[in-house]
Amino acid sequence: MAGYIGNLALFFSLIFNCFLIFSLIREIKNSTFKNSKIINFFNNSIFFLLLISFLTLIYCFIVSDFSNVAVYQNSHTTKPLIYKISGAWGNHEGSMVLFILILSLFSFVFARTKVSEKLKFYTVFFQSILILIFLIFLILTSNPFDQMDPKPSQGLGLNPILQDPLLAIHPPFLYFGYVGFSLVFSFALAGLVTNNFDKSWSKIANFWIILPWSLLTVGIGLGSFWAYYELGWGGYWFWDPVENASLMPWLAATALIHSNIVTLKKDKLHSWTALLSIFTFIMSLLGTFLVRSGVLNSVHAFANDPYRGVYILSTILFITFFSLAIFIIKSPKKSSYGEYSFLQKDNFILINNCFLIFFLSVILVGTVYPIILDAISGKSISVGPVYYHTILAPFLFAFLFFMSHGPLISWNKEDKFLQIKNFKIFFPISIAISLVIIFYFFDYKDIILILGLLFSIYLIVSVIFDWISQKKLSLNFGRLVSHLGFGTLIFAIFVNAYLSKEINTAMKVGEEITIQEFVIKFKSINRIKKENYEEVFGNFLVTNKKKQVELTPSIRKYDQPVQFTSETSIKTNFIVDYYFAINLSEFEKDKIMVRFYYKPLMFWIWFSILLIAFGGIYQTFRLRNE
Amino acid sequence: MNNKYKIIILGITIVIIFILFLRVLNSDKTYQPNQMIGKKIPEFILENLLNKNPKLDSNILSGKDFAVLNIWASWCIPCRIEHPFLMDLKNKNQIDIIGLNYKDEGGNAKNFLKKYGNPFSLIGVDKKGEVAIQLGAYGVPETYVLKKGKIIFKHIGPLNEDTVNKILELQNK
Repeated sequence: MAGYIGNLALFFSLIFNCFLIFSLIREIKNSTFKNSKIINFFNNSIFFLLLISFLTLIYCFIVSDFSNVAVYQNSHTTKPLIYKISGAWGNHEGSMVLFILILSLFSFVFARTKVSEKLKFYTVFFQSILILIFLIFLILTSNPFDQMDPKPSQGLGLNPILQDPLLAIHPPFLYFGYVGFSLVFSFALAGLVTNNFDKSWSKIANFWIILPWSLLTVGIGLGSFWAYYELGWGGYWFWDPVENASLMPWLAATALIHSNIVTLKKDKLHSWTALLSIFTFIMSLLGTFLVRSGVLNSVHAFANDPYRGVYILSTILFITFFSLAIFIIKSPKKSSYGEYSFLQKDNFILINNCFLIFFLSVILVGTVYPIILDAISGKSISVGPVYYHTILAPFLFAFLFFMSHGPLISWNKEDKFLQIKNFKIFFPISIAISLVIIFYFFDYKDIILILGLLFSIYLIVSVIFDWISQKKLSLNFGRLVSHLGFGTLIFAIFVNAYLSKEINTAMKVGEEITIQEFVIKFKSINRIKKENYEEVFGNFLVTNKKKQVELTPSIRKYDQPVQFTSETSIKTNFIVDYYFAINLSEFEKDKIMVRFYYKPLMFWIWFSILLIAFGGIYQTFRLRNE
Repeated sequence: MNNKYKIIILGITIVIIFILFLRVLNSDKTYQPNQMIGKKIPEFILENLLNKNPKLDSNILSGKDFAVLNIWASWCIPCRIEHPFLMDLKNKNQIDIIGLNYKDEGGNAKNFLKKYGNPFSLIGVDKKGEVAIQLGAYGVPETYVLKKGKIIFKHIGPLNEDTVNKILELQNK
């Protein structure tokens, strides 16, 4: 029954969406822009209908209505409630509903803000075209309310490694980010078409860029955190194509945030800002394509129906073509570029943009090239961390350097060679701190490590300096926090990469081994039975110099579907994580394979990501209040 | 440049991207097991599992008239099943078998050989499984027959009587 309501709501949202587009076209044709009541009515109805549809789907999952195909394939009666709920978006169909719901939510909220009617109508128009495209896709190829008869008595269950509280919230955050960029995309097209791409556009756009950017930051952070504690390999970023797919729109949006500031403050770079607005959303769509078309094999790849792949591909290229065509025809051509001088803030932002686009291109090539090469020539190449680290690292240092100085330069006048006094302060301090750290903590010295520490500390010092010299802190608070977070993030990543230690071995109960500076004792083993799995715990005592840490990693055997997962045990003192994971040994029956990791500053990696996101969220609230 | 041309160029680019990705979508994403047959083995140098020297160099393999390359791991149960066949190939038929220890722990691998015997004249350590990928391997175990560095036969999964006979046949050819 609930399924019918959901399905009906979905169909009505499609019909209403067609009405909305139709009435918008009429308004636009007559250039009246008056009947905002009708437009708002349709726009709101679509949102509420989609919301109903989504809630009914969740309801179907909660009551385990297995006559619904999506529920049957992804749920099970014995699953805890939270995973029944998150199961609603833990599959292809449900996540597409969420995708469209968020498209509509952004349109819904945007229509309530203060914007000129003309811009509003156009923006809602483009947004509803996007909704239309994805609704048709949903209904034709992946309807979440498909029924099956006879009704099965039990479901197939949700992939155990997705049964995790973090994963219940990771996809929504990521989607709010990904899909959130649709609004600035539509808004940019609206600005271009109506020739309103100017300072006032930027002012409104600012909010709609930073909000999804902050949410995407949190989403990426959560995904990375999940990979760290769930996968059991001690790593937090694997340069996996799916991870890259989320990083690409993030980089594009970061560039956009900065170029938009220039458009806002100096009425410059309009075309570039417009292009980035379009490009950011296209990158999000590319991510959706990679993840959802079955091109990649990973925990994220739900869809394996080739028609879906072709549809998503055509859709994305259709959107790309039309948005870029609009850009080509209507790209703002401002002739006055004001006074130009080299050491101006705008140029530093341009440099920042060049770097970000470079990082993005490197990742884009690394992600897409192997896939295409494999399809065309049958050759497999593996593009892994080595590629990314070697290419990105040297440029990252330069990026950090510019990032340290850019914000300190004034907007209006050319500063005397970046204010030499800043160099005089930053360099000695950061060199001194890096040297102390390197000589105190590191046994071997590597030029990459030294530069990484030096420049990240350089950035941190410059942000602190900037922070202290602020006259009105609230104005720049968001930026300072985000930049500080980026500095500490890079610092933590470098320290972590160079000081992490790993031990892999097989152990018996009662055994004690000494490797490197660690003494590991396998104390005991015990079992428990839970609702949807059976768990075997190992008790280990790790002694490092005088410090003792007790860790209890486990192996779970899930019932539905039968699958083994390894649950890590992590103890942190905010400086170092002690990380333990165990696996069954297939070779020696009486032993267990143990993996122990010593991971410094992990907490600071997560905390830094939060700082970056918090800076963005603070900024959005400030913009909201303005 | 005229806008019309720009849009045409954009259109062409989009069509090219479409065709490329369509190929990706339609391509078979499973390994083609035969793709390496008749080809020379890829070049690699791997650490030796048991001694420091010699390293397992693809040039050494290319120099051999007839050799069998076996990908194995201590954690792989089918490898244990095929192990007696490898021992026989070495002891009864004097075939030169080279091992490729795949994504394994050195200690476990050595224990494995201590327990079941060592049929290999040389074992390379493929810790990350990169060489196995270059060889077009599905996983473990997998066996390649090489003639002067050229792959003439390949078997996926544990060896059995039939494949052993096939290998002997190839040797006598």
